[in-house]
Amino acid sequence: MTEDTRDSTVSARYRELGAEEPPRALDDAILAASRRAVQSHPAPLVAPTGRRAWFVPLAAVAVLVLAVAVTLHMQVDQPGEEGVPAPAERAQVTAPEQSRPQARPKAAEAVRQERAPVHTARTDAPARSAAEPEARKAPRPPEPKSFAAPTAAPAARAVAPGASAPAMAPAAPAPAVAAAKSAADSSSADALAKRADTAVETPEKELERIALLRREGKHEDADKALAEFRKRYPDFRIPAPMLERVERR
Amino acid sequence: MEAGDEQLMLAYREGDAGAFEELYRRHKGGLYRFVLRSVRDRPLAEELYQEIWMRVIEARARYEAQAKFSTWLYTIAHNRLVDHWRRRGLSLVALDQDREESAALDPPAGPGYEPQRIHEAKQGLGRFASALAELPPAQREAFLLHAEADMSPAEIARATDSNAEAAKSRLRYAMAKLKKALTDD
Repeated sequence: MTEDTRDSTVSARYRELGAEEPPRALDDAILAASRRAVQSHPAPLVAPTGRRAWFVPLAAVAVLVLAVAVTLHMQVDQPGEEGVPAPAERAQVTAPEQSRPQARPKAAEAVRQERAPVHTARTDAPARSAAEPEARKAPRPPEPKSFAAPTAAPAARAVAPGASAPAMAPAAPAPAVAAAKSAADSSSADALAKRADTAVETPEKELERIALLRREGKHEDADKALAEFRKRYPDFRIPAPMLERVERR
Repeated sequence: MEAGDEQLMLAYREGDAGAFEELYRRHKGGLYRFVLRSVRDRPLAEELYQEIWMRVIEARARYEAQAKFSTWLYTIAHNRLVDHWRRRGLSLVALDQDREESAALDPPAGPGYEPQRIHEAKQGLGRFASALAELPPAQREAFLLHAEADMSPAEIARATDSNAEAAKSRLRYAMAKLKKALTDD
């Protein structure tokens, strides 16, 4: 450091101003807060090391198990996938189903193709209904076809072993059902996309959101959001142009 | 051997409350004086000082030992002070202006700022304290970071989000003005 930025007489005189310390009560309050913080949530956002290192593999396994369980659960809950009817039931189910229209519009076809690999994986899963062994013995219709008609799937599957091709072929389209399914698919996809978007919100995105609130005149909400943002990212430097947009003027 | 600040902060991040106590003990005086002499109002300084430490506590999970702990700590302090000044309508440009220009926004010392009143009674030291108070906020901040946290111009630049040349220039001006106050004694 150069002479003009370091001067011992100035430093010495500055020291003479006194070495003020914070009041004891303030020390106690801050230290108490620091202890409370580690007792309530120890190192919440980062990969811990040392004696908490076992958290990482445990958390990874838990997440994996949860993901697999949720995927399986969703597959099992698909309408039309509720188990394959027992052979005794097949006869009852087959007759009405044969006369029901089986056709699906192109949109449903696209969804089906997208899901086909997942469906194949699921059919390999061991846990199935009691009818499964029999169903496996019998020649199956091509998988995409059985998935193509989710609402009629039990029937289609039940019919499959003995049914002729015309039974599976579309006799007439069922646009209402297909449209409803398509709409449901797209809306749930939107919801998932939105959720994912929110989950990975970056400080910049958050600031954009606050700026939007400010622009819309929701100053109270914007102030709250800004305060919350500063709490969450105390060392984040808000660029000046953005600051002008997010701060109340 | 004594653990470094960065090690202590990492230990606190891992849940060691004792590490924070040691860290706090090391930095409480310097940070307190930095804040107090920046805002020159004791109740306000205490409020800001507490908020700065709360931010340190809240941000512990994101702490990475990439820079010196003191630089990180004083960056948080600087950001908090900038927030405070902005709330009073003082822009970043004004922080560099001379006292006459920013007087309305950087008001005289509050009633709780005892050292200045005490030292004003003593001739030489009082003049020095006044000279320090008269510095534009950015120059005063640069000087306080140098005096309390022993920061170099490069570290000051990092903590205040400016460039090294600007930090060096601020510190040099502050030093020159304070030195002049001493020679005027």
